[in-house]
Order: sequence, then structure tokens, then C-alpha cells
Amino acid sequence: MGANLKEVRERISSIVNTQKSTKAMKMVSAAKLRRAQEAIVKLRPYSDKLDHILRNILSNIDGDLNLDFSKERDPEKVVIVLITSNKGLAGAFNTNLIKQAVNLLDKKYAAQRQAQQVEVICIGKKGFDYIRRHYPDVTINKDFVTLFDDLSYQNLMKVSSLAMDDFTAGKVDRVEVIYSKFKNAGIQLPEAKQFLPVETVKIYSDSSQKESFKADYLFEPNKEDLLEELIPSILHTKFQKYILDTHASEHGARMTAMDMATENANDLLKDLKITYNKARQESITNEISEIVGGAAALKS
Amino acid sequence: MVIEVLTPEEKLFTGEITSVMVPGISGRFQILENHAPIVSALVKGDVELTLGTGEKQNFSIEKGFIEVLNNEVSLLVYTAAAAE
Repeated sequence: MGANLKEVRERISSIVNTQKSTKAMKMVSAAKLRRAQEAIVKLRPYSDKLDHILRNILSNIDGDLNLDFSKERDPEKVVIVLITSNKGLAGAFNTNLIKQAVNLLDKKYAAQRQAQQVEVICIGKKGFDYIRRHYPDVTINKDFVTLFDDLSYQNLMKVSSLAMDDFTAGKVDRVEVIYSKFKNAGIQLPEAKQFLPVETVKIYSDSSQKESFKADYLFEPNKEDLLEELIPSILHTKFQKYILDTHASEHGARMTAMDMATENANDLLKDLKITYNKARQESITNEISEIVGGAAALKS
Repeated sequence: MVIEVLTPEEKLFTGEITSVMVPGISGRFQILENHAPIVSALVKGDVELTLGTGEKQNFSIEKGFIEVLNNEVSLLVYTAAAAE
């Protein structure tokens, strides 16, 4: 029985140690999450204003738009931007994002993949590792794997600029972004969104809010050129939002996962403590009955 | 009039001004009180704010947009670094 007692004691202390680290990781994630959320909030006034100006221009334009970034072409060459985290221990966070990528690669763009016309831009090590291992036939752009190290606007712009340049040059016909939409610390929604060609312009131009923007604006330069200037800015901002959302989601997911791990460790400890006490009681009872038995044997 | 200077990373400045000079895509221009509504693209150059107190503030921008409506100015810029 002594051996069993020792075993249980060792398990308890190992669980206590694990719990310490999960608890610490949860705290760290909570702090990082707060900072990530702040970044999202700070971006909002800028992106709202850009949207406002865009709607403004569109509501003053009559007739069809013919923008470089909204030209729909047959998707011969496709780029998928896969945003994942660098580190694991975040529950199903990366798995869910990768699932979206697998879905695109195996179904939606299977034909393009067959023709070697799919390129994956990996942001974050987890997605990169997975695609490299499971899709050796797919071209991977690994220039931006460590993009998360520097979340400044200038740095994030590099990816969206590359996508836009390739798109306008006709080298790429479609760009998809896989990211995780941040709802709250407990809920993150992995999504695949079409980044290029732009779809939003259409939605705005037949929105019912037109009248509210009918102020008599001067447009400098003319509306069409202004739009061509404005759309890239909007796209950069949109892309930045994807990155920041994923960043916040990562920390939210990790925080939830670590919270659950800590809880789970608590449950385990409770059970083990009962087992430990039982074993201890058992060995005491055994000893007593041995002594009593011994004394009785002496008497007779 | 009121101005709001926004970058993708932060709100750079808000407050009361009497004039703002910006590098418009077709030439430098100044916005004064009661300017007509305008939307313009901006190019690389310097922005000069004249605050309500008469004090001047300068910073350089990489690219951006300006919108003026009812004495409210919104300035959206990239990499606005305060000029020394």
C-alpha cells in the first residue's frame, strides 16, 4: 500500500505544477488579449471614416463603376492567405483555421490546385507547418510567416500591397483570406473571405442610405480617380483588421483553453485527493489490524 | 472648426483650429472656417495646423485623405510623424 500512496502523491504534485503553468499562461493571454483588443478599437475610427468617405463618393456617382480592384476574372490563378498563430496551446483555434484552408484547397480550388495555380501565403508558423507537411504540391510563400512579430501598419501593408499589385498586374485572379473573426474571448469564428476582387463596392452603391450623403461635395481629383486612390487604403485597412482580429482571437482562444485546463486540473486534483485519503486510511487500518492480530496471538 | 487627425494606429490629434494647410493631389491648399464640403486625396508632404490659440503645428504625411463638412475636418493619413 505504501507504494500506491507514494504514486498518488507524485501525481498530485505533478498536476499542481501543471496547473501553475496553465494558470500563468491564462493570465498572460488575458493581458495580451486586452492589448490586442485595444488595437482593434483604435483602428475603428479610421476605418469607419474611410467607409464613410467611400459611401459618400459612391452616392454621388451615377452609372456603373469600373474599378481595377473589382474586375471579376475567371479564377485561374488563386492566392490563399492563411492567417494562423505562431504558437499552439490555444484549443482548436489553429485547427479550425486550417480546416478552412483545407476546404478551399480540396474543394473550391481543387481544379486550380491540379494545375499548380494555387499559392498559399502563410502568416503564422502553425499554418505554414501544416500546409508544408500535407500539401507538398502547393506553392507556399513563406516571406510573411513571422508577420505577427511586428503589427505596425507599414509592416502589415506589405502583404496587402503584394496581393493588390499581383491582382492589378493580372498575375493573380483571386485572393482569399482565411482569418479568425473575433467576437469575444470565448467565441472566435474562422472565416474564409474573398479579398480580391472587391465585392463590397456593389453593396454600398445600391444601399438605401444614399440620401443622407447628398451633401454637395467638391471632389479633388475627380470622383473616379479619388475612388482608385481610396480603395487601396480601404483594402489595407480591411486586411489589417483581419490580422488584428486573428491576433485577438488567438489570445482569446488560448485564454479559454488554459482556463479549461486549469479547471480540469482542479477536478483531477479533487479525485486524486480522495484516492490518496482512501489509500492512506486503508494502510492505517491495515497496520492497526496487524497490531491487534499480533497482540491477540501473543495473549493466547 | 474642429479637426480630427486619424491614422490606422491611433487618433493623432483632435481639437479646435482656425486653418489647416494640406498637400492635395492637385496642389497645396488651405481650409478655413466655413469651407465648402470637399473630399480630396492627399500626397506626400507637410500638413500645417493653426490652432485656436494661434499656435502652429506641423507634421509630414505619406499619403491620405481629407474630408470637410460643416466645419468638421477629418484627416486620414498614413505615417504621420510630427515634424520637429
